[in-house]
Amino acid sequence: MKRRTFLQLSGMTAAGALLAGCQSKNEKLIPYLIGPDEGVTPGRATYYASSCAFCPAGCGILVRESEGRAKKIEGNPDHPVNRGRLCARGQAVLQELYHPDRLQQPLKRSGARGSGEFTRITWAEGLGLLTAKLKELQQEHSTDGLALLTPQLSGSLATLVTAFMRSFGSSRHVSYELLAPDWLRLADRQTFGQAGLPFYDLAETRYLLSFGADFVENHLSPVQYGNAFGRMRQGRDTVRGHFTYIGGRMSLTCASADRWMPARPGSEGALALGMARLILEEKLHDKSALAANGLRPEELLGRLKPYDLPRVADMTGLAKESIAEVAREFAGTGPSLALAGESVAFQSNGPESVRAIQLLNMLAGSLNRPGGIYPAAAPSGPDNSFTQLMALIESMQAGRIKLALIKGDPVHAIPPATGFQQALDKVPFCVSFATLLDDSALQADLILPDHAALESWGDVEPLAGSRRPLYGLMQPVVMPLHDTRQFGDVLLAAASQLGGAPAAALPQKSWLEFLKGTVAKRVSGKMGEKFEARWVDLLRRGGQFESNRGPDNVYRRASASSLPDPARPRFAGDETQYPLHLQVYPSSAFTDGRGAPFPWLQQLPDPMSCVVWDSWIEINPVTAAGLGISQGDLVEVASPRGSLRLPAVIYPGIRPDLVAIPLGQGHKGGGRYARERGVNPLALLVLVEGSEHQPAWNATRVRLTRVSKSGELVTAGHPQGSYRSDLIGI
Amino acid sequence: MKSSWLIVGLVFAAGLLAVALLLLYSLPLEISDRSPVQPIAFSHKVHAGANGIPCLYCHRYAPVSSSAGIPALADCRACHLFISPDSPEIRKLMAYWDKRAAIPWVRVNTLPDHVYFPHMMHIRAKVDCSVCHGAVATMERIGRTATLKMGWCLGCHRRHKASIDCWTCHI
Repeated sequence: MKRRTFLQLSGMTAAGALLAGCQSKNEKLIPYLIGPDEGVTPGRATYYASSCAFCPAGCGILVRESEGRAKKIEGNPDHPVNRGRLCARGQAVLQELYHPDRLQQPLKRSGARGSGEFTRITWAEGLGLLTAKLKELQQEHSTDGLALLTPQLSGSLATLVTAFMRSFGSSRHVSYELLAPDWLRLADRQTFGQAGLPFYDLAETRYLLSFGADFVENHLSPVQYGNAFGRMRQGRDTVRGHFTYIGGRMSLTCASADRWMPARPGSEGALALGMARLILEEKLHDKSALAANGLRPEELLGRLKPYDLPRVADMTGLAKESIAEVAREFAGTGPSLALAGESVAFQSNGPESVRAIQLLNMLAGSLNRPGGIYPAAAPSGPDNSFTQLMALIESMQAGRIKLALIKGDPVHAIPPATGFQQALDKVPFCVSFATLLDDSALQADLILPDHAALESWGDVEPLAGSRRPLYGLMQPVVMPLHDTRQFGDVLLAAASQLGGAPAAALPQKSWLEFLKGTVAKRVSGKMGEKFEARWVDLLRRGGQFESNRGPDNVYRRASASSLPDPARPRFAGDETQYPLHLQVYPSSAFTDGRGAPFPWLQQLPDPMSCVVWDSWIEINPVTAAGLGISQGDLVEVASPRGSLRLPAVIYPGIRPDLVAIPLGQGHKGGGRYARERGVNPLALLVLVEGSEHQPAWNATRVRLTRVSKSGELVTAGHPQGSYRSDLIGI
Repeated sequence: MKSSWLIVGLVFAAGLLAVALLLLYSLPLEISDRSPVQPIAFSHKVHAGANGIPCLYCHRYAPVSSSAGIPALADCRACHLFISPDSPEIRKLMAYWDKRAAIPWVRVNTLPDHVYFPHMMHIRAKVDCSVCHGAVATMERIGRTATLKMGWCLGCHRRHKASIDCWTCHI
């Protein structure tokens, strides 16, 4: 070919390609085969009020639905907890409904446990298998061989589950969640003599002191507190509330603070008592509040003698001046408020530290006043479900548990140090009620898939969301897409097939009937025509948000309550061999891992490190330089229990003696988006039992070694280039 | 001498580029098919013209929804079980029904995603369908008659004293 012809030809090809690219293809218009029912207008949306059940905060949601498909979730403006706001996790619940790997019908295990080989069965067969196993237990008179593992339930489902277990004759219902606020309920009981959770009036406070409570991302009711924080800062004309954050790692909450005090892990309680002593010494405390709580300043000061400023400064690694300054500001600026968070509670001295922080609130007179702390109208929950879990694991290992019913994903979310995963292997028959083939469902012998949240009936009592009793309803917004059944319906069906006591205790035909029964009791009406109208009204609003019952509960220190005295924290692992502290923290996208199956959340960049679709470990630049680690390197993290490999993020917002890994990744199942992605840092944790038999999940020490250059870290943006490390350096 | 040629050449190239950009801006680049071939040769001329079926009989969602809607396959079939069931095009229709497959009609009138066009508001304002869709009753095969550009929308909105606020359409 001649040069000229070649050029001509290539020019023509290029022009042709260009023109073809410009040509926009006409779209297709696909009509219905059979038109929709009356009342459905294509192109016109219907909005349903419901409640979000992703986390226990229980925000109110509005779901936009058109042509029988749920399209978008937003916050319900009438709901007092979230006031129309909603977090990214709540919005992503839509992807649970449409997840391509959803379990579409009951499955029976056909391969080895964990192999993921199942055969499809019908609901009749599935329910038959379940009731056969239950009947077997009844015949052997070993009904205590039934164990039920659930997340911490609220509302009607809690009632149903309790009634089922009691009537069947088993006491082994364990509702353990890694991030559940058991520790806070325990502290409330010990200090104030009432089990419950606090409601922080963040919006009206003028000085906020957070001891590791990441209320913007995860703590208790994050949408509510994120919104209240905004009002605290900008909602008032005259004051802008001040915020000081105490904790070794800069979280998103911490990044919103005016002052960061990176105290040494486990020293937060001592810091709180040091501040308390300074406040008492300088007589800055609220005298009437102290008297009302039965505390005498002189006596208290005597007890706090060991927490003098130089010693506390030494323990925490903070400057004396800044501790004194914060203590004076906290006591001098009313109303002020101190919060305790998970990173403090998950130390060996956690429960004592949390009570020390409560003492600060008493000194500043923050109890029962605007801008302070009130008891929340939260549903009662367990003080220490961890001991229940450990007792269950022991019986599982001893072979006393014959049948385990699993709701949720404990195989992923319970640290292996408890021995739960091995103990589950000893249970001859496990039933899972998952919506996806998650880590726990992979271990199950029978899977009876639950509806997605947007196909479900239910009710929610928001956790620590309000001073007044609140009640949210969940209603299905679409017809079930697959051949699934709700967990409540399955329990009721099993009870009626069992006959005897369970059938007598649970005569309801369906979960909806059960739900309506409990709602009728709650709104103090009876089932009947009048209630039907009320029920429709409740569904239209999304629940009952006003209550004629006022907030009558107040906080007063129990006279029997002892003064907190946090011991020196204990850590697992020798300091010379394992020089660094490990903090595992709930990921802002997945919390404890329940959000990992949803690609929107995988794609959500972490607010501090910008990482997407992966796990990472945060290392201070000084520590990293000492170990020769740079951004994106693959590192090995070794603890006395095990080791993991993951990419490094060089993060100036963390103490040099601390490294942090987010929770939530490292699933074996959970659908195509979560499976085999990242690591589960729970595998590293050593079981350290803190005071009051509370687990100390942040008390493990680790060692880092650089493995290679290729950590394959994916970030949205380049945090290295944009950090003002001079602003946040320690 | 040589440099002056270079300058002239550069000026010429710059001019050419400017003309090309101007052309790009002014020429109708939207070159999608104005009257595409449809999977079934449906004739609006027969239905709306000769038989005088009102538009809203089939496009029944136009007064209540943003989208006018195309009749469901079951609706077409309901009539054509009895009306000329043996014509070749109706046989095609029935074949789609037998396969339980929707007819992949090719879209003719389309707006970008950032424009919100509600049919119901225009029907309520008593704008005749033909203002935008042309004389459909005379078309054997449906075709686009309006440019559907923003200026065209604004012209009509101004004539009818309808709102020309940005947020009216771009929401």
